[in-house]
Order: sequence, then structure tokens, then C-alpha cells
Amino acid sequence: MSYLPSKTLPYRIELYRQLKRKRTAIAYLFVVSLPVLVAIAVKFGPSGNSGGPTRLGSGTTDLIGLATIGASNFTVTMLYFATPFLLVTVIALFNGDTVASEASWSTLRYLLASPVPRARLLIQKVKVSLSLSALAVLIMPISSWIVGAIAFGTKSLQSPLGATFPNLVAVSRIAIITLYIGVSLTFIAGLAFYLSVRTDAPLGAVGVAVAISILLSILDTITALGDLRAWLPVHYSFSWFDALATSIDYSVMIRGGSYCFMVGVVFYALAINRFAHKDITS
Amino acid sequence: MTWSARGFGESTGQIEMNAIDAEVADTRALIDYLARNKNVALDASGDPRVGILGSSYGGANALLTASQDSRVDAVIADISWSNLKQGLFPQSIESSSVSGPFKKIWAGTFFSAATLQSAYLGECGSFAQRWCDAYRNAVLQGSPSLAEARLLDSVSPIKFASSITAPTLLSQGQADSLFPLSESYKLAEKISENKSGSPLSMIWHADGHDGSNVQAPYLQEQFLLWFQKHLLKHEIDFPIFQFTRMNGSISLQDSTVIPKVFRSEKLPFKNESRQLQVVTPTVAMIYPIGGVPSAISALPGIGSAGALASQLLSNLADFSPAFLPGQSGFLESAPLTAPLSIVGPSSIKVRITSTEPDATLFFSLVTKTPGGAINLPNGIVAPVKISNISDGGSDVVVNLPITVLDASIGDIVAVGVSATDQGYETPKTSRFYSVSPLSPLIFQTSVATAARSSLESFLWPVGALVSFVAAVVFVRIRRPKIAPTKETSDTLLVVENLGKTYKDGHKALTDLSFQVQRGQVVGLLGPNGAGKTTALRMMMGLIFPTDGSIYLNGESIYPGSPALSNIGCFVEGPGFLPHLSGRENLRLYWRSIGRDGEQYLDQVIAITKLGTALDKKVRTYSQGMRQRLAIAQSMLGMPDLLVLDEPTNGLDPQQIAEMRQVLKNYASTGRTVVISSHLLAEIQQTCSHVVLIHRGELIAFGQMEDLLSKNHRSQSLEETFLELIGDDLVIGREDQ
Repeated sequence: MSYLPSKTLPYRIELYRQLKRKRTAIAYLFVVSLPVLVAIAVKFGPSGNSGGPTRLGSGTTDLIGLATIGASNFTVTMLYFATPFLLVTVIALFNGDTVASEASWSTLRYLLASPVPRARLLIQKVKVSLSLSALAVLIMPISSWIVGAIAFGTKSLQSPLGATFPNLVAVSRIAIITLYIGVSLTFIAGLAFYLSVRTDAPLGAVGVAVAISILLSILDTITALGDLRAWLPVHYSFSWFDALATSIDYSVMIRGGSYCFMVGVVFYALAINRFAHKDITS
Repeated sequence: MTWSARGFGESTGQIEMNAIDAEVADTRALIDYLARNKNVALDASGDPRVGILGSSYGGANALLTASQDSRVDAVIADISWSNLKQGLFPQSIESSSVSGPFKKIWAGTFFSAATLQSAYLGECGSFAQRWCDAYRNAVLQGSPSLAEARLLDSVSPIKFASSITAPTLLSQGQADSLFPLSESYKLAEKISENKSGSPLSMIWHADGHDGSNVQAPYLQEQFLLWFQKHLLKHEIDFPIFQFTRMNGSISLQDSTVIPKVFRSEKLPFKNESRQLQVVTPTVAMIYPIGGVPSAISALPGIGSAGALASQLLSNLADFSPAFLPGQSGFLESAPLTAPLSIVGPSSIKVRITSTEPDATLFFSLVTKTPGGAINLPNGIVAPVKISNISDGGSDVVVNLPITVLDASIGDIVAVGVSATDQGYETPKTSRFYSVSPLSPLIFQTSVATAARSSLESFLWPVGALVSFVAAVVFVRIRRPKIAPTKETSDTLLVVENLGKTYKDGHKALTDLSFQVQRGQVVGLLGPNGAGKTTALRMMMGLIFPTDGSIYLNGESIYPGSPALSNIGCFVEGPGFLPHLSGRENLRLYWRSIGRDGEQYLDQVIAITKLGTALDKKVRTYSQGMRQRLAIAQSMLGMPDLLVLDEPTNGLDPQQIAEMRQVLKNYASTGRTVVISSHLLAEIQQTCSHVVLIHRGELIAFGQMEDLLSKNHRSQSLEETFLELIGDDLVIGREDQ
């Protein structure tokens, strides 16, 4: 009998183990249901019966007010709704629960004793949870666009900054936005993963990660903190608004994306370092 | 030092609009005063190191003082005029000597600011008489007399530009219908012709006389940098040209536009011109009697708010108050196929006809979205006044407002033409105008980068990459260093001086040594908290020994050690994925542990005695079923050593008996089993050897028979056990 560390916990097996969980399906269901629910609410809600054009919100030039123009506007608005909480929660779930749940099922010790080398176990876990997270971030705009196209048609994207983009440009802008959201969420992914390694309670890791994200968002609204806020990763949650300008200024997105990525990487490194030295007693 | 023109000291307090012999002379006297002051650095005797900064009226004062006094070492003029005649009687026709329409609302606002004070000082207030007369005349006549034109020229910095040799920073606002960007543009053009070649920079910010005040901190910073660079001679990389775009991003907190600063190494008049075809053949419009109703492009003081309101309104109703129906028209481009950015001046040649010999028109540069929304940047218009129009019309080149404007794909760029504007003096009688384009729209753009330097945009991703590499290096350096060592004995399992002290100081195990040969079934005994589980966990690579070592087939065992692949284990209860079936759990476990070779699945499944339950979810299993599945899992692949912690927990007596046989059979194939249990009778029946630990220390180790024979009264392991540990059966700490 031979043993190869590089063959332990293959990506496909870990993906299968996670995909078979109800939690995964429910998380994706949440992501898909947001645009559907909003579209239904706007289409059949009370304001839709008054005869006038249906609009979300009261403004006519802000992002939410423009949501019902067409699929692209609807998608951008859904991304705006989903960024601060829904996607954060889903990403925290995928990354925060992955190791802690193994500990709570007691499967972690059997994997480590088999042995799956510790760093490899985490890296395989990271690969899979990041794949699941990326899929969630991708599903959000795709499902929104399809739902938006069915409910409101496929008119050009109208930016709250006054610019109008034909569909092909609009889709490329949405792609840039989605990519940015994905990168900026690496911060929450890293944080949740670190907490996952620190605790045996899966929901604890997820909850604390989401709570920290909310706390930082609150801090970010305190203008008295001034420039200090630039060091809060959540400060850059909505920097993708820059992608709605006529000509995109990437500077803040580059800064925000890089910073969130850096913070995420630090947490991943801390997680692997801690796990490598940990006495597994669960 | 700060000062104002309110009249102090020996100055009269009369406003002369920065006359060289009045306000400028006063300012020069202030420089004399500075030169006498002890705490002021001097360049030479009587020549202090001095920079001068002012806004609007103060800016013109700064420029004029610098032109008259070579002691000034740096100048900053914000939202000031370069040509006061052009400021108050703007004429946008290329090289026309006729003065444009009187900017009546702004001039009145300006004048009243100095005259409407708490006490009535006559109709002229603090204004010097000649300025008061000039204003009265302008209101009555609508155009300046020759003498007044000369008076306006005498306080226009552009006339003195060739004498300005100090480093000059010209700052002008986009939200400024009083002194628009063209004031700084023309002055910069003039100053740059100077032979001295002294430094010149220009800023087009988002603020201005129209009341916008969003960039004050940025401007303060830039002004300070300019003085640091040119007064303190600090090494500062100050951009030649900076401008602010207002369409980059909006604040989520209050929906206000966040200004974004761009920088360029070229002043805008050094850029090449580009062209955009205009497709509208002609527009016609009525000028109503008395000019009422009147278009509203901007309002003094609330210009930007007015422009914003007009944009909101036009989004809603396809209507802009700057372009009244019937009184206005648009010379439009085709919908754009690529984004367009206009930074700087633009112009178009047009033919203007009028039913009277003269025409007063207001030109502007706008964008129209496909939805019909009209965007007139900051409500800035370029007034045009021509006389002596022949029947066929007059052909003129109109200089459109200098602007920072962006249009996206699908938008239309248009030259807006309006016959009325309430901010200006217009004719009393009615007219009918037509305007036809004779040339493409000629415009300029600026190659600029976001003011957050491109270096920073480059450094952040590099930083991210570096942090990634650093993280990998950190993790590699910090990984536990355990040098795998080799023993040269053929004993299966060697435990040498094994010890574990937890971080809180608790000694779970000290100096444990024993050896296990092939084919043995070894029982690990001890009361609760004796250190059994700690020892087993170290054998499985779950916790790090603090002392000693373990060898399997001569290979060192440590967390992650490849030698662990030869150990099957069951410790402190089963662990399965509850959402999968027993069979799937076994299959996935085997695929996860990186071994190949025969997995002996059938034999192992036979041990579980689960039958059809094997395909049900583990969640539904009883404790005993999970237990048997877990022991079966530990046997997958038939490892050389099986380590089982309390394997009979939760099993009924019949299952215990079966398990006993399974383990004996396993050992009979030359493999080895180590069991820990607190069921002493069970151990006695199953095991060939015993390791007895208590309080983390080895009490006895040897063959079962040897151990039992030490006790003369009984052949029971229980008796022996109690005898060996004596009365010392204190419940120890749980050896977690």
C-alpha cells in the first residue's frame, strides 16, 4: 500500500462533499431568490397597480429609482442590494463553516490522522470554498439579468451619473463590477476562514464574520473618523460605482480590491499558521 | 498675513477694482511692512520671501501685485478674472472687437455686495465714483463706452501678464458663471508666452462663484504645496494641469457627486484639436418682445444648484430651463459610437441670420442621453452679440464655453443655442434667428490620469502580490519543524519517553515508553484522566508531543507524517458526514486519504453488519451503528496498526463479543491492534499485552499473563489494576 500526500482530499471529492450539503443549496437559493422576489414585488406590488410607471424607491436619478428600466439596471441594483449583506453572509457561510463543521462532525480528526497534511487540508478547503463563493458572486448578476430581462426588458443601462450604455457595454461593465465585488469579498472570506479554524462551532465562525463586517460598516459611516476609514476594508464595498462612469477610473477599485485581497491573504496565512501548530482535540 | 479691502490704515476704503495706484499700491505697502518684520525671511534687504494668494477680487489683486512688484515669489489666483471687460461683457465670437451682452445679474450682485451695507452710503456705497458711473452707464446702455472699456482694461491682469515672472498657479472653477474657465485659460496662454519661463500651473476645480464648495480641502492642500514648492523650495512634483470630473462616482451616504481629480503634464491649449461632425442642418428660434420669458442657465450664487435642478427636471420631462421651447435649438452630432471626453475649449463656425441687423445669442455645449435628458455642464453659456448682419447672414466662429464634459456611447453631443438668458442684457424688440453650422465641432481633450498617481494604482496590486508571496513564505517558515528520524529496529511501534505538557502547564503525560511487536493486541489501561487519550492522539498525529518520539516500522510519527498512513484509528467516537450514507462516507473517506491498493471494502462492510442501512444517511444511525461503521472505516486498507479508543462504547454485549473476535482476527494476520478501554474484563479477554498508565505515568507494561501473575490472590485484571494503582484512584483531570 502506498501513500501520496498530493492525492489526499482531492478537489473533486471536497467539492462533492460540500455540494451534497443542504446548506450549499440553500445559500444559492437565497442568491437566486433575491432578484425574483424584488421583481415580483415591483411587478405585482401595490405601486404597480396605480397606473404610473413602476419604480423602486422615490428617486428618479438614483440607482434604485432606475432599477426597473431594464435588465442591466435591474442587475446593477440587485448587486447594490446584495453586496453589503447577502453576499457577505453567503461568502462568510462558505468560508466560515468549512473547517468548523468538520470539527463539529468529528470528521476533521479522521482526515488529519489518515493523514491529510494540515496545510494541504486547508488549501483544498480554501480552493473549494472560494470556488463556491465565486459561483455565488457569479450567479447573482446572471440570475438578476435573466429575471430583469423577463420582467423589464433589455433596455440600455442608465447610470445614475447620467451616462447610458448599450447592452454590450453594459454587460462588460457588469462583468467588471462582478469581478470587483468578488475580489473585495476576499477580505470577508479570509476572516471567516480564520475564525473557522479557531472554533468548532460553524455558525459561530459565520456569525462573528458577518458581525465584524456589520461593525466595520457602521464605523465606516462615522465621518468623524476621517481618513482612518480608508483602512477599513468595507470602505471599498461600493467602489464599483466608479465602473458606471463614462470612462472608468480604476484607481479606487484597484486600491480597494488590492487592499481587501491583502487583508484576506493575511487572514488565510494566520489560519494556516494556526492550524499547522494546533493540537486537534475536537 | 491676511487683509481685505474694507478700508484700514491709510487706504481710503474705496473700491477701485484693484487699480494699480490704489489696491495694488496698498498691497505693495504691505510687502514693505513684511520686509521690516523681524520674523520674516528675506531674500535681500527690503525683499521678503513672500507668496500671495487670493480669490476672485483677491486673486486679481494677487496677479496685479505680482506684475508690479518683483519681490513676490509665488502667486496663487483662485476664481479671479483675467479680463474684466470680457467677464462683464462676454463676447464669444472669435476676434470680435464688439463687446458682448452685459452680464446684468452678476454685475448687479457684485455691485450690491459693496453698496448694500447696514448704512446707506449713497447709490455708490464704497465704490469709487468712476466705477459707480461705469456701472450706472452699463445698466442704462448695455455696453461700455470707450473710457469705461479702458477703465476695465486697466485692472485686467491679462494686460500685465508679460510682467508676471513669479511662479503662478491659476485656479478656476467649473461652477462659475461669473468668471468661467476661459478666464484662466486665456491668462495661462498669455503668461506662458513670457520669456522668463517661470513655472505655471493650472487647476480647474469643481467649485466657483456659483456657490459649489465641495473641494475646499483639496484646494487648500494644493495651494499649500505650491507655496512649499516655490517659497520653501521643497522638492514637490506639482502637476502642470489638474482638472476635476464630476461624473466619476456618487456618495452612497447623501447621493452627492464625489469629485475626482485628474492630472496632466500639458496645459490644455497645448493639446491637439479634434473634430466632431454636426448633422443638424439648421435651427431657427424666436426672440420674444422684451426677452420674456427668459431661459435660466445659471443663477448667481446658486448656479450649480440651478444646473442640477435643470438636469433633474430634464431627466423627468425632456425639458431644461436653459432651453425654452421655440426660443432655442440644438446643433446635434450623430449618436456617439465611442465615448468622448472634452477638456478645454471648443468652437464651431456658424451662419447666423436675424430679422434685425443684430443678434444676441447664447451658445453652449451639452450632451443629450438617448432618453432625452439634456446635460448643460454647470449652466455655463457663451454669449454672442453681433451687429451689421446682412440679409444672407453673418458667418462667425463661436468659442463655446470651456468645459470638462464626458459623453458616453449613444449620447449626442450638441451645441445648444438659446435666444434668451435672464442673466444678460438682451434687446427690447422681437427677432427671429436662424443658426446653421458651417464647420464640424472642433474640440480638445486632455490626456490625463487620475490624480491619485498611476504609481499608486500600480503599487497596490504589486503590494497585494507581495503580501501573497509573503504569506506563502510565512506559512512555510512557520510550519512545525519535525525532522523525521529513522530507528533501525524491526519493532512495529516504539514509544520513547513520550511526554505532553499543555500550554496551561497541565502535564498530561510524562516519560511514557513501551514497544509493540507485530501480531500483538495491546490494551492501554488507566483511570479517567490518566493520559490514555493524549497518548493515542499523539500516535495519530493529532497533537504535538512536547517530549519524546514515536516510531512506526522505524519511521517517525508526527502530525502529518506519511507513516500515519499505516495506522487506522478510531478515537473518541465516530465522525461522519451526517448528510451522506454510510457507504458514501466510506467511499469518500477512502478517496480522501491518498492511499491506493486494495481497500478490502467487502470485508470491512461485513464487519459493520449494517445491511441495507448502509445506504441510509448517517444522520439516521444509532450510536452502535455509527460505532461499527467507524471501526470499519479504521480498517479500510488493512493498515499495519489499528489504534482504537474505547471501541466497545455503546455496543451491546453480543456486539462486544463479535468485536472481540474481529480484533483478534485482525491481529492474527500479523497486524497489530492497540486498544484503550476502561472495561477491564473486556481488555483481559481481548489483549495479549497491557500498558497501564496512571496520572500520566507508566505503571506497568508487559504480557497479560505476567501482569496477572503478579497478583497472587486473583487472576482478575480488575484486582490487579486496583492493586497497582493502590488507593490513589483520585479522579484526575480529563485529559482532553
